[in-house]
Amino acid sequence: MRKLFWITLLICSFNTAFAAELRTLKWEEMVPADAPPLPPPAALHGFDQLADMLAAESEPAAEQQYPNAPIVPELDGLKVKLPGYIVPLTIDESSRVTEFLLVPYFGACIHVPPPPSNQIVYVTSEGGVALGDMWQPYWIEGTLSVESFSSEMGDTGYRAEAEQIYPYVFDSPAIKNNR
Amino acid sequence: MHLLRIALRSLNNRRFTALLTIFAIALSITLLLAVERVRTETRASFASTISSTDLIVGARSGSVNLLLYSVFRIGNATNNIRWGSFEHFAEHPQVKWAVPMSLGDSHHGYRVLGTSEDYFTHYQYGRKQHLKMRDGRFFSNEAPFEVVLGAEVADALDYQLGQEIVLAHGVATISLVNHDDKPFTTVGILERTGTPVDRTLHIALAGMEAIHIDWHNGAPAYGNQKISAEQALQMDLQPKEITAMLLGLKSKIATFALQREINQWRGEPLLAILPGVALQELWSLMGTAEKALFVVSLFVVLTGLIGMLTAILTSLNERRREMAILRSVGARPWHIAGLLILEAFALALAGITLGVVLLYVGIAVAQAPLQSYYGLYLPFSAPTLYEWTLLGAVLLAGILMGAVPAWRAYRQSLSDGLNIRL
Repeated sequence: MRKLFWITLLICSFNTAFAAELRTLKWEEMVPADAPPLPPPAALHGFDQLADMLAAESEPAAEQQYPNAPIVPELDGLKVKLPGYIVPLTIDESSRVTEFLLVPYFGACIHVPPPPSNQIVYVTSEGGVALGDMWQPYWIEGTLSVESFSSEMGDTGYRAEAEQIYPYVFDSPAIKNNR
Repeated sequence: MHLLRIALRSLNNRRFTALLTIFAIALSITLLLAVERVRTETRASFASTISSTDLIVGARSGSVNLLLYSVFRIGNATNNIRWGSFEHFAEHPQVKWAVPMSLGDSHHGYRVLGTSEDYFTHYQYGRKQHLKMRDGRFFSNEAPFEVVLGAEVADALDYQLGQEIVLAHGVATISLVNHDDKPFTTVGILERTGTPVDRTLHIALAGMEAIHIDWHNGAPAYGNQKISAEQALQMDLQPKEITAMLLGLKSKIATFALQREINQWRGEPLLAILPGVALQELWSLMGTAEKALFVVSLFVVLTGLIGMLTAILTSLNERRREMAILRSVGARPWHIAGLLILEAFALALAGITLGVVLLYVGIAVAQAPLQSYYGLYLPFSAPTLYEWTLLGAVLLAGILMGAVPAWRAYRQSLSDGLNIRL
């Protein structure tokens, strides 16, 4: 039993040694600290708000809340590990997703306006990932780059070249280590 | 080695039962592999049909439905969308390119797609490959009566450049209402792509408009109401509605924003889908059926193996004398057990080999009809690692099955077969 404990500790310390190089990023960190607070989300919870929702329905379409949300330029070139849900864009012949958008919550696109552009990462991956269920979150590990295109509309954002993609297991040792 | 030879000789002595057993195993293996092949190839052909298109926009229905009719030409649109909507989003600052699509007519069961020259420039399939011309050129937006054929259409109907083609109204293979007053001229044939493009005839939107210009209330014009092809050319052929549009965006990050904007647009009820997401939804739908088929074929394999077990077990009784003679000339009990396991191994291996051969024969025979009727291309590829694993597992299961008669023979005593028992 004692032996097992030491082995576990050893493995854990290895993990943290690696983690020093690979930064586990939180989605909040991708918003600059001095950014103005986001307006409250327009989700509907409960029928008492039904009338408001119908009123909202007749208004012009909800724009992306922050089409050109501020980004954190310091994150450019950083090797990061980031959890999120995969929205597939390109699927190759062997059913692997090679290009996708990583978002912090699943089903982000239906009942609230889409997440601001600084909460979406455009990920490309050489080997891709065999996506099972869309509601399965994944960790991605790779180099983050900050891209700002010269455009009048929201074209700034994060992009990552993923080296590793693996399922996010709830309560995995990896999460404990990084707490 | 001696043991294997004895096993084979013994099998040869009972070749009719042995052949039947092998055949039963072979058929089950063919079924198992065919299900697996069709599954992976369907997925591959679906996945490689559309690439680099960020959003598909059509009338409001379901995402899978829109994907199927716009890209795979399966099923029909619920509704058309207005030309104004297309113009609105084609000029959207986030949109890099927009391609209109108009469906609904056919030619000998092949769908006709009304589109613009941009389709040729922007439509991509597989690993971001563009369409290529095999012969001739792509149609021009200004020439309404030009048609570009997909490879399959040209090959199956044996059409050449310059051929005059009459399109039919509706999508039935045998159509009763033809647009025979306005024939089209073939100006180009596309390279084979392995996608539904091969089974499509491409015409300009103006052509689509022209063939329906004298239609009133959903019926063709009669007598002097008819407008000839020449007269139609003089008229305004600006389309009023299209079936769907493909959009390419300047930035992938903006996909959700534009999707939301389209879905909530007040000009017209529209539906925008991400092709990748819709494809994933389609697969999770098909996944259940695939699993069911896979389980059924596994059970068929199991039945085949049990058939083999039955054949060996029943033969044991007949072969009491054989075993006893072998024992009396010095074979040990484990020799007898080994003999039976080798027999099972030989039967399973022969069954698997014949099964694989049958699969390839089946592919060779069914390849062409599958391609033309279902658009499914089954390639002559070597078994994949997964298929090898399946075959290995079946072989192992066969050997394990052989252990049952082996155990029984092992337990039978030397004297068992020498006594005369009638």
